[in-house]
Amino acid sequence: MAKYDRQFYPGTTVPAKNRKRFMDPKIKLEKLRDVAMDDVVKILGHRQPGEDYRSIHPPLEESNEPDCPIRQMVTPIEGAKKGDRIRYVQFTDSVYFAPIIPYVRAWMYMTRFRGIDTGTLSGRQIIEMRERDLEKVAKELIDNETFDPAKTGIRGATVHGHACRLDENGLMFDAWQRYRFNAKKGEVEYVKDQVALPLDKPISVGKPMSEAELKKRTTMFRVDGVDMRDDKEVMMTNLRIHRLRTLAGYQPWEIKGE
Amino acid sequence: MAKDKEKLFMKAMKKKFKEDPTDEHTTYYSFGGWKQSKRKREWVEQANKIAKARGLVMMNQDIGVPLGQRVLMPYQLSHTDIYAEADDLHFVNNAAMQQAWDDIRRTVISGLDTAHTVIEKRLQKEVTPETINRYLEAVNHTMPGGAVVQEHMAECSPALTADCYVKVFSGNDELMDEIDKQFRIDINKEFPADQAKQLKEAIGNSLWQKIACPTIVGRICDGGTMSRWSAMQISMAFITSYRLAAGEAAIADFAYAAKHASVLEMGTMMPARRARGPNEPGGIPFGFLADMVQSMRKFPDDPARASLETVALGAVIYDQIYLGSYMSGGVGFTQYATAAYTDNILEDYTYWAVDLIKDKYGGLCKMKPSMDNIEKLGTEVNSYALEMYERYPAAMEAHFGGSQRATVAAAATGIACAMATANANCGVNGWYLSMLQHKERMGRLGFYGYDLQDQCGSANSFSYRSDEGLPHELRGPNYPNYAMNVGHLSGYGGIAAAAHAARGDAFACNPLIKVAFADKNLPFDFANITKEFGRGAMREFMPAGERTVIIPSA
Repeated sequence: MAKYDRQFYPGTTVPAKNRKRFMDPKIKLEKLRDVAMDDVVKILGHRQPGEDYRSIHPPLEESNEPDCPIRQMVTPIEGAKKGDRIRYVQFTDSVYFAPIIPYVRAWMYMTRFRGIDTGTLSGRQIIEMRERDLEKVAKELIDNETFDPAKTGIRGATVHGHACRLDENGLMFDAWQRYRFNAKKGEVEYVKDQVALPLDKPISVGKPMSEAELKKRTTMFRVDGVDMRDDKEVMMTNLRIHRLRTLAGYQPWEIKGE
Repeated sequence: MAKDKEKLFMKAMKKKFKEDPTDEHTTYYSFGGWKQSKRKREWVEQANKIAKARGLVMMNQDIGVPLGQRVLMPYQLSHTDIYAEADDLHFVNNAAMQQAWDDIRRTVISGLDTAHTVIEKRLQKEVTPETINRYLEAVNHTMPGGAVVQEHMAECSPALTADCYVKVFSGNDELMDEIDKQFRIDINKEFPADQAKQLKEAIGNSLWQKIACPTIVGRICDGGTMSRWSAMQISMAFITSYRLAAGEAAIADFAYAAKHASVLEMGTMMPARRARGPNEPGGIPFGFLADMVQSMRKFPDDPARASLETVALGAVIYDQIYLGSYMSGGVGFTQYATAAYTDNILEDYTYWAVDLIKDKYGGLCKMKPSMDNIEKLGTEVNSYALEMYERYPAAMEAHFGGSQRATVAAAATGIACAMATANANCGVNGWYLSMLQHKERMGRLGFYGYDLQDQCGSANSFSYRSDEGLPHELRGPNYPNYAMNVGHLSGYGGIAAAAHAARGDAFACNPLIKVAFADKNLPFDFANITKEFGRGAMREFMPAGERTVIIPSA
């Protein structure tokens, strides 16, 4: 029997291929910027740079946990070993070709990260982790190609904006104006943290991508980009899910010839 | 292919935003915050006065999120010319919405045949049109709170219970001709001839009372009170009009008939975990809701309107009032639910779908209900709906929450599939097709609830066995998978209506409910749902049950 290669996502179009790329953990995502870790910590707003991590239980080494098969199978992530509290980073992705979109985030997180709890809505996508691990993940997600300074927002609360039109600088709407466009530098800079508390100084997250660049990296099917109906395999797979669920509930093997 | 017409939502989009509806860019943060809203300015003034008078702070628009960083857009009530501020579509601020719910909750339908049989067979007394008229006169005295038996009795002020009355209807024209006109709901007069014929055949010779209990009683007590209130007053009216003994055993038969054996409540009782009695919104099946709506009676050639009006009523009763407040306790569901009945967006998608069905699928009710056909039609309608959001950023921003778009696209798809096949379960299957495609296409859908029912809904859309499913018309908010997710129930109601409106059916589920809500004495006009909500928003709607006569004048 041929070796099965996990495909991660069907389809042949740009959004389908990008979905596959984002989900396949063997593919290293392109790093487009390097926001200092201290600045990431400030934007997250959970602790000050240099401040100790707060813990919610003793380090596992000291806690005399009972032995069990699960503990033997699962290696704890660093923050779990140390007893860190669980904190979050939450992104809002504009419908105007933000590179990644909420469900693709969830699917990507599941294949690339361990020790996460993630939740997906239309206007925000949260990932929760032990704090020190979260900071590393947040930096990765801000630095890499899934993030566009103008079309991706880092927002803990008051998240609406993903479906609003863009402002005169092409930035996604944010009622708290956590970020602004620095016309002189051509960069987007955060002036407030995730929950809109003012930062002591602006933090640049770089230049917005051009429209052409966004469309190259997009995971979104849109009529003014790639229409999903033009990706036969994606359509077929999706319709098949609906059909099998309709005809067989969750026992698709019961259906012959479909 | 459906005709390329002017989009029905264009007028609203142009009123909402100054830019062209296709423009992706605008300006923000420069509209004066909450001060741009007349209503919010009024409230700040009111809250300041209240705070001063009571010595305790009150609402303060400057707390929390900075409101009004973008245009606080007006909302057009669909298929009307009325525009309203979002605040005025919150049920707390809208007397018409309150009355719509009051008029449903206080309605009880009770048969007279059982009681007449008891009188004739058990008591050997005669029942004639004259005695029925005498009884109806008596029950219109007792129902609002009048006494008939005890001589030293506290009664209710008629000014407080002015909206309370009892009328009767039957499929038997000869019998109805004998009933005093003031007590009749005249099916022949209220309905087009073909609908009247269907209703009369379904109802037959039986005689039914439509009881409108006092609004004020429903508000003080609850929906569970209604059949008790009506049964008690019915029993009293029988005692007096047929000169019965108040304590004789036969009286129990009247009470039993009116409370149990021969009564139809608007909502079924809810299980303990949702803890509501009958005649509460969570118990209203979609088919019942579709029958309360009277659009087909007044606009018999427009089945899409009937579906959309049912969506509108469902959005307020199920989403804003039931899930929004009864279940969640929140105040924010208005913003979400209004998407389904404002700005003619769902209107545009639905009428486009009707044209498509006529052009490509042989006409309403002509499409064979196969998976292939549902997939084909569903994909076309859903893709059109999602494309409109993509082609018109104004529409995207008008429905700025993914849940709003998911609901509206799925409602259009579901209504289309129901209308094309004349089958509501096909409709709800189309709904779930839309949800799965929407998620795949846009990579986002609604809030967490959409991960629950919309990802597994295909699997139960054709389930009929009692532990697994029901015909769609008999499902309701209490159906297990539908119990707690806002933004769905309105569309489901519309789907139930669509299958039957497309067929030209006079009713979707229950002919008695259809006739009961055709009654012109109801303060809320169930033939013009969005218009009534608009009148409520404009503060032009006069509700019932006001306490003016028992409180100090302002």
